[in-house]
Amino acid sequence: MADVHFTNVRIFDGGGDAPFTGDVLVSGNKIARVVRTTYGERVPPVAGATVIDGAGAFLMPGMVEAHTHFSWNDQPSLDSIQRMPPEEHILWCAEVARKYLDMGWTSCVGAATAKPRLDVVIRNAINDGTIVGPRYIAASQEITVPGGLGDTTAPHLPQHEFAFGAIVSGAEEMRRCVRMFAKYGVDQIKINLSGESITGMPSEMSQFTEEEIATCVDEARRWGKRVAAHARSTWSIKQCIKQGIEVIYHASFIDEEGLDLLEAHKFDHFVAPGLAWLINTCHHASAWGLTPEVTRKMGYHRELEAAVESMKAMRRRGIRILPGGDYGFAWTPHGTNAKDLETFVKVIGMSPMEALLSATAWGAPMMRLGKVLGYIREGYLADILLIDGDPLADITVLQDRKRILAVMKDGEFHRAPPLQRPGGARPPGGAPVTRWAT
Amino acid sequence: MADTLFTNVRILDGSGSTAPYGGSVLVRGNRIREVSRSAAPPTAAGGGTATVIDGAGATLMPGMVEAHTHFSWNDAADLASIQTMPLEEHVLWSAKVARSYLHAGFTSCLGAACAKPRLDVVIRNAIEKGQIPGPRYLAASQEITVPGGLGDEMPPHLPFPDFSFGQVVNGAEDMRRVVRMFLKYGVDSVKLNLSGDNFVPGADAKTTWMTDAEVAAAQEEVRMRGKRIIVHARSCASVKQALRHGIRLIYHASFTDEEALDMLEAARDEVFVAPGIGILYALLWEAERWGVSHAKAVEMGYEEEWAAACESLKAMHKRGVRVLPGGDYGFAFNPHLANARDLDLFVRHLGFTPMEAIRSCTLYGGQVMMRPDDLGLVKEGYLADLLLVDGDPLADVRILRDGRRILAVMKDGVFAKAPPLAGERPLGRMLERTA
Repeated sequence: MADVHFTNVRIFDGGGDAPFTGDVLVSGNKIARVVRTTYGERVPPVAGATVIDGAGAFLMPGMVEAHTHFSWNDQPSLDSIQRMPPEEHILWCAEVARKYLDMGWTSCVGAATAKPRLDVVIRNAINDGTIVGPRYIAASQEITVPGGLGDTTAPHLPQHEFAFGAIVSGAEEMRRCVRMFAKYGVDQIKINLSGESITGMPSEMSQFTEEEIATCVDEARRWGKRVAAHARSTWSIKQCIKQGIEVIYHASFIDEEGLDLLEAHKFDHFVAPGLAWLINTCHHASAWGLTPEVTRKMGYHRELEAAVESMKAMRRRGIRILPGGDYGFAWTPHGTNAKDLETFVKVIGMSPMEALLSATAWGAPMMRLGKVLGYIREGYLADILLIDGDPLADITVLQDRKRILAVMKDGEFHRAPPLQRPGGARPPGGAPVTRWAT
Repeated sequence: MADTLFTNVRILDGSGSTAPYGGSVLVRGNRIREVSRSAAPPTAAGGGTATVIDGAGATLMPGMVEAHTHFSWNDAADLASIQTMPLEEHVLWSAKVARSYLHAGFTSCLGAACAKPRLDVVIRNAIEKGQIPGPRYLAASQEITVPGGLGDEMPPHLPFPDFSFGQVVNGAEDMRRVVRMFLKYGVDSVKLNLSGDNFVPGADAKTTWMTDAEVAAAQEEVRMRGKRIIVHARSCASVKQALRHGIRLIYHASFTDEEALDMLEAARDEVFVAPGIGILYALLWEAERWGVSHAKAVEMGYEEEWAAACESLKAMHKRGVRVLPGGDYGFAFNPHLANARDLDLFVRHLGFTPMEAIRSCTLYGGQVMMRPDDLGLVKEGYLADLLLVDGDPLADVRILRDGRRILAVMKDGVFAKAPPLAGERPLGRMLERTA
């Protein structure tokens, strides 16, 4: 693999400082050199390196998606996700994995998969080069209780194959279930601790006994797995902190006591609210019958208001809030994930700088790659984006595939920057382009 | 889609009856619009909007057709190791193999059986809707076999159908049910194992075990739905059984007698034989690393079968029976992408001229894909499945096995493998952001 030398780029290095002009040398899969240059300065070429003249483009670390569901298939219900046959489902996951990388997400944290092995297989296939995709943390299915979020069996069709999640009742069943996913090779166990209003069980409601949760955490720890929780209700959020569940998804209804607890343990947890789901369910799902009147009755407008206040409070207290918004439903389609950063700025009150950090430097430890990922610094992994525009001036440019000029993962271009034709632009109506001649 | 104009190419039209000639070919949409013999560009190319490929004398020929393809064979050394691959991995593997076949120049493949019920159908559908790249594909069922026959991989103490490589049926009604299941899944071809195979203990290549009632039940169901039966038939009796039941695609046909050859000749306008001789050759000469030494292969009966197959196929070729390449690739000793070696084996061992060998994967390929009127030739109106080859396959058919000599692959008017761009060579300094 040839070295790559980015010259004439504005570098956002993930450290929180204003971007600077300079050049970046990538050698193998690592960043070998970052140099500041002054106006008009010519950087001496590096022998053997492919030169990318960035022409002033914005160079930043690849983004980290903290709540990813490759296997959600852009359908309007859990049931229609579950009904996809496994063969089609794995091809769908592969297609989505590629799309995330295309859109600049060079790392993704799996937040649950729709069939037991989908996430693990995709992670392995990415790692061995069978398919292309981001760095990936593979999740289990959602572990839930009979009648809870993710139990999509019908009373007359009680077979577990019909269930979206893995259904357990009692500590010993929980232990067996965690062991099964550990055997399959997941990195992260997903447990549903609260309801979800659209399924008929309100988000404020909680599920599982403390004993079952403790068993889940204990067994996951024995196998070296991380636990992530769907936790919208007040009780469920506090359970995460009390029982040491590292990843807290949603956290809509946190109270003062919960905020104090979380602040006291703020470096032990990551929070990924998944606000896109709430916003789009409230305001952009009418085409699927979910008009604002319907979703207001469900309680989503109340939850959205609560979640916004919760996130503002967490931000003030310095708790890490990460992007990743339950994309993969009909009204939160895959590929639109960078909308979360815009939401962080416009709704939660983050500065564009904070929003960028949440997708880069803060995401790296979430990937368990702290100190090696998330920065444009010497020795760090070469996950790099080249952006046409300045995300610090307009965070929405990250939502536009055309503005993401190049995506590099692990030192290799997934998308190389566009090539300028050697002869310049094609003469109007004139000579054809010759593709091959020797 | 912009037109593509291939200029300065040596056209090998795939008919087997026309000597290659210099000329140019215009592709519009997914079809060949114009083929011209002169150096001047075709008349329809006016306006200068076409992407021009200056072939610089390279050979332009039809995309190759593989008549006996197993995307889901995973380059393992035995059937059990193919079967035990989990479903999810198996789909991704099949997708990867499909893409690699296309890049190797096979723009059409005929599925000869898959290792789990839906693999072939799912891959065909994903290719057709553009989700994954791959050749035109006719999807097969699993192998349908009888208890103890080729494809019954259930160990006696684990008699669960999920352990079996093929679908095991017993009796005509059982056959009917299984065939209906595959038709429900959407296969194009239903595969029956009529004979054994030398690597199955107790069911060698000369054995024949399906009853006529079972075969007839399958044929009746398949005909009713307008699909095709394809058969694994190595033994003489199985070849005759296939012909008696009106089966038109016969795999292997190693052992024949005068009666079988007469029957084949009588049906030569309808029947295709794809011998899959690549695997015989490999087992005999190249499988030592996987525990099959030459001596062992001889003991297993492969020398005898190789000799018989060469005689049978030479005789078929002389009698005008269409013999097609496609050699059971996808085993450790006969890996995927070696497929074009069949053409070389046809020339060296079966008495084919290079032109006849090419014709077997172009003109005959279009016919076996059930598209005799618009697939398999470089001809106006035909589908634009084309290869640009560095060199002359008529002088040396082996170059078709070499990925570097396949300069470009076009399927349905779109490059699956684009020819290198002249301007891409000095990549290093030329990469710049376009304004």
